[in-house]
Amino acid sequence: MDIKYQFDKQFPNELDKKLIENGPFCSFDMFQMAYETAKSLAVPNFKGLMSPNYLPHMEFLDHQLDCAKQVVEKMSGRAILADEVGLGKTIEAGLILKEYMVRGLAKKILILVPASLVNQWVKELNEKFYIPAVSQRKSYVWEQCDVVVSSIDTAKRPPHKDIVLSQKYDFIIIDEAHKLKNHKTKNYQFVNSLKKTYCLLLTATPVQNQLADIFNLVTILKPGYLGSYDEFSKTFGNKRSALKRDENLKQLVQNVMVRNRREDTGIDWTKRKIDTIWINFSEDEQSAYDDLDHELFSKDPFTSITLKREFCSSREACYLSLKKMVEQHEENNSKQEWGEQVIQKIEQLPHHAKAKKVIDIIGNSDEKFIIFTEYRATQYYLQWYLQQHGISSVPFRGGFKRGKKEWMTQLFQNHAQVLIATEAGGEGINLQFCNNMIHYDLPWNPMRLEQRIGRIHRFGQKEDVNIYYLAIRNTIDEHLISLLYEKINLFERVIGDLDDILEQLNIPNLENEIKEIFAESQSPGEARIKMENLTAAFQQNQEEGMSEDGTASNS
Amino acid sequence: MEQQAIHNYLHNFFSLNQCEIKESRQGKITVKLNEELDRLLLNRPFYWEYIKKIGQEGETATLTFISSPSMRHEEGEWIHFGSPRLHQIFNSQLAQGRYTMLYEQAGQTALNPWLVNNIMISYKGRQKKDEILSIGLHLINGTMVFNFMELLKKISFSSVIPDYSYTISPIVRIPSAFNRINNYLQHYLSEQEDDWAKEAYEHFDKEKEILNHFYESYTETASDDEKELLKERYENEVDHLEKRLLPEIQIKIINGGLFYLSETTSNQFIGK
Repeated sequence: MDIKYQFDKQFPNELDKKLIENGPFCSFDMFQMAYETAKSLAVPNFKGLMSPNYLPHMEFLDHQLDCAKQVVEKMSGRAILADEVGLGKTIEAGLILKEYMVRGLAKKILILVPASLVNQWVKELNEKFYIPAVSQRKSYVWEQCDVVVSSIDTAKRPPHKDIVLSQKYDFIIIDEAHKLKNHKTKNYQFVNSLKKTYCLLLTATPVQNQLADIFNLVTILKPGYLGSYDEFSKTFGNKRSALKRDENLKQLVQNVMVRNRREDTGIDWTKRKIDTIWINFSEDEQSAYDDLDHELFSKDPFTSITLKREFCSSREACYLSLKKMVEQHEENNSKQEWGEQVIQKIEQLPHHAKAKKVIDIIGNSDEKFIIFTEYRATQYYLQWYLQQHGISSVPFRGGFKRGKKEWMTQLFQNHAQVLIATEAGGEGINLQFCNNMIHYDLPWNPMRLEQRIGRIHRFGQKEDVNIYYLAIRNTIDEHLISLLYEKINLFERVIGDLDDILEQLNIPNLENEIKEIFAESQSPGEARIKMENLTAAFQQNQEEGMSEDGTASNS
Repeated sequence: MEQQAIHNYLHNFFSLNQCEIKESRQGKITVKLNEELDRLLLNRPFYWEYIKKIGQEGETATLTFISSPSMRHEEGEWIHFGSPRLHQIFNSQLAQGRYTMLYEQAGQTALNPWLVNNIMISYKGRQKKDEILSIGLHLINGTMVFNFMELLKKISFSSVIPDYSYTISPIVRIPSAFNRINNYLQHYLSEQEDDWAKEAYEHFDKEKEILNHFYESYTETASDDEKELLKERYENEVDHLEKRLLPEIQIKIINGGLFYLSETTSNQFIGK
């Protein structure tokens, strides 16, 4: 049989030259040690994964190892990784990439991800996989660095485009690959023209709208594998339900796609126990809250909303904004006067109803708690207030340097009962030893909520996780909880589906959407109706997704 | 490589490189680097440039490596088979131990020339695997002996010719010795099982056929401009396919050198 054969040409010449020039030569010990080194680096088998040996600090889950094996052994390194959200597609991709690097098959590597994830990928590849990835910041990076992470949008733009297309990549990873479902887009064309040997496409939703989505994805990996488009649509139609019903198609797709679901990972997921705790303002507090609805803000509803949200968190948070307002509006007497009045009023208030509740919850337990708040002022206040009740706590902020974050985490683990955080921003910070979380105030961006919970409810969490939401009746909290959060099960929902729903409803930013609803509504009643409409749209989308097709997505 | 082996490896590496080992017990090693290794491992060229400019010696760093899990609480760098630091050291070792010329210390005797070659064969099909061969080629009579490094373990060598010994000049020249090894390898490989290559070929053929059909069906109805584009795309894909699935064997020489061995040893190796 004809097998391409290449003999090392360089070494004989070099050795010959060295012999003529009389060195330099190494000692026998050096010589032998180099030989032993090469032996330990050699990969003696076709089958199996070597990469986990290189990554002893990582604990891989069975489905992740199986996935990597399948892609390496059965799919020859071209596959769609389509696990459900939260099962670790990134980990699988890293494992596979590492395997090809360890076996010396991949050197020049390109990783295309959404712009917002570039840094995270760089970090994970470096820290978890010891893969020296760099983010593309300067144009020389394309040619000079071996492992480059970039957004598609950057890569496809001049002057980058020509450089990228002229490189021969051994390995390409594309994250959030469902964005490539339309073959007419520039992104699709661009990706299709890349020179690549091995290739992974990552997506939790391989079929989003129509069956053609999967055709287009597979065609990037293996052109012709599902036939030409005409043949494909003649055979299988364009209903995405075909993917579930047609055995042929199912089989075909399984040869190029790995998809794990939460229930088939065999992992015992600990439960999330969710408890929404309703709190009433004291009469004085309620009256101060109601004062924030002032006609002064008729042209500036955002300010009023902000003040109300702050007041639901702590009077300190609200006080800071009020004070700023008073300072800024020295020329506007009425605002200034009003501001000073409210400040005076809230100064008289007793301790915040929510803070008292927190003492009730934590005081009765000797377990550890994480409290999340949106406001720095609340964080300070709570720390002081907890201390007054003999409860030790440490602060945590996204802005802390890495070392300080780790230090705070350690203090929390070993000494303090409570960690008060303003931001989930602590990728890689390990908080699984804690299984209680209090959402002191609610973020309007539900993505943030999931990120917060994700810090403790993840692989490695041994206990059921208790999540408390604090909400004050007859305030803006109530709107949010009862309408949006409860009706669409936002609390239980995994963030990935939500992302997809938002995309399909064409809502780029849920937080802004909600803000606008409150700001533009003339009355609480109108706001309620608008929120209900939004909720209904969510529910409808969710049901459609479920009934039509289970294979594609849970959205 | 097990953690214990890593500890031993580091110990050997640093002592071979003449670094002062300040502490070495199970799973923990502290060394004061020499300048060469400091430059290599710590990558601080500006420091060295500055120090040299002001005419000073420079202070090399002292590093501690922890290779035992039970030592992890101690101060030092955790090192394991995957850590970039260890691979930096591996690469340095591979580069330093590449070429040699050595003489057996065997008293008053004639020394026979051998070409010693350690070879990595990589088989690449749908996956890839490596095999290592160690070959010694007697440069007088052309005999080849295998597993050569094992045999050499028991012998002591020096880099200068011992007193009262003399070398016999090679009859087989170095380039032609490599040719013989190359020929031998091709023969050796032709006798190996090649299911892996057949399997890779099968997949290649199957995928190529699919690819051909795909592009043909589009080319039929395409305009001239589109045809041009399709052709380019097609060639691109075939290229990927060849790289990914065509079986291939690569021979890389790990290291090699000229060894002068005593008559007795040579005969023993040849099996006379």
